[in-house]
Amino acid sequence: MDSEERNRGMKEKGIPLYRRILVEVEKETQIHPSYADLQNQFGLLLVVQGDPEGAESHFLEALHLNPKYREATLNLGYLYIEMGRWKEAEDIFLSEARRHPKDGFIQHVLGILYFQIGKRKEAALHLQKSIQFHPYCRVYYEKKGIWKRRTIHFDQKTERVLKKIRLNYHYAHLHNSIGLYLAQEGKSNQAVQEFRKAAKLKPDDFLFHANLGTVYYHQGTYQKAIQEYQQALRMNPLYGMGYANLSYTYGLMGRTREALQSMEKAVLLNPRYADLHYNLALLYSDRKRNREAIHELKKALRINSKYLFARVNLGVLYEDQKKWKEAKREYRKILKITPEDEYVRQRLERIS
Amino acid sequence: MMLKDDFVIQSEIRRILVRTNVDYSKINFGTVKGIVYIQGAFKISRYYTDGTSDSVQEFTRKTLVSLEKKIRTIPGVSDVNFQFRNWKKEKGRWIPKKEIEE
Repeated sequence: MDSEERNRGMKEKGIPLYRRILVEVEKETQIHPSYADLQNQFGLLLVVQGDPEGAESHFLEALHLNPKYREATLNLGYLYIEMGRWKEAEDIFLSEARRHPKDGFIQHVLGILYFQIGKRKEAALHLQKSIQFHPYCRVYYEKKGIWKRRTIHFDQKTERVLKKIRLNYHYAHLHNSIGLYLAQEGKSNQAVQEFRKAAKLKPDDFLFHANLGTVYYHQGTYQKAIQEYQQALRMNPLYGMGYANLSYTYGLMGRTREALQSMEKAVLLNPRYADLHYNLALLYSDRKRNREAIHELKKALRINSKYLFARVNLGVLYEDQKKWKEAKREYRKILKITPEDEYVRQRLERIS
Repeated sequence: MMLKDDFVIQSEIRRILVRTNVDYSKINFGTVKGIVYIQGAFKISRYYTDGTSDSVQEFTRKTLVSLEKKIRTIPGVSDVNFQFRNWKKEKGRWIPKKEIEE
């Protein structure tokens, strides 16, 4: 399909910017064929263009490059639903459900899938699970009349609602993708519009609100950023980086008490991220909670022993506690790696 | 001078980096009692030049100067310690250096 036909297709669908982005992503995919992100993005653009076979090949390529690429897996699964390839879709989402049994979104998709193929009993079971695991699903199903008196109800209206949810998936992700593209170009107001469209089409997806939060954060409209991050976290309370981003935003507003609370949750949800332990340590040390700060810095260094400034902070905290031997040990370790660090050298000389 | 929380400074640096034309995925930074540490490889994400190596270098240099200025104006920052693998500051001027792979 040539670019003119693509453009016509998108005009019909009323999505601006599509042609430019499609051409640029296609070009970038040719230059960097081994970038899974680009393959996935191009696949998404092809879905909306109405080229499911082309889209399938790019999602598969993304997964070939990175077999753990969850977004590409979900995009492929949804594409199979669109193509009526139920068995392949079912295999993908059941495998995802086994991997993430408490992911309400996957249960929600399985519910839609079984509903489409007439397995209403299984559909009801998975929709109920999605209500159990995804707080937003309960509210949404209640609003749409699917969840009434603690039971899933299927009628003609339900059928329309579920079909709409299904059709909106790829468009929502396309708007999200365009939003990310615009945000990278620094066009934050346009990016906000795209993320808003995505959130309207697929109101249960925390990611669009998280992206909105990030654009507002970059714009400097912190109150709006906080609202969007909080919305994302209401939808997905396990979104650890959402708490971290919330914490950074509170930090910029000087609301360090709330920043600390959020960072503690971020660390709890992502205990393997050295950077989060480091930031939590800063928050503790700013509040003179040195014992807890040292504990977090040690954790950061256990994860990444080359985390240089974590070691500098640790040395300074030992100094504050008059633990000269420990402070010297940390400074010497730093100077072995960066002998030109005058600041650390001076600190070491002062206590030697 | 009133000391500002290290975490607040850290948040300000994060925001400056994401808003600057720099590939911040290759940069690490930390704050120790108002002293800022920045490490990694300094790369520009988008060049607005004619593409010649001289113009690219000059553009990178100007971006570094601007970044340094922004960080130094954050309230509470007493010094900035740059430890880039590919650029160093000598006698007040930024010069490229041969990158050492880690």
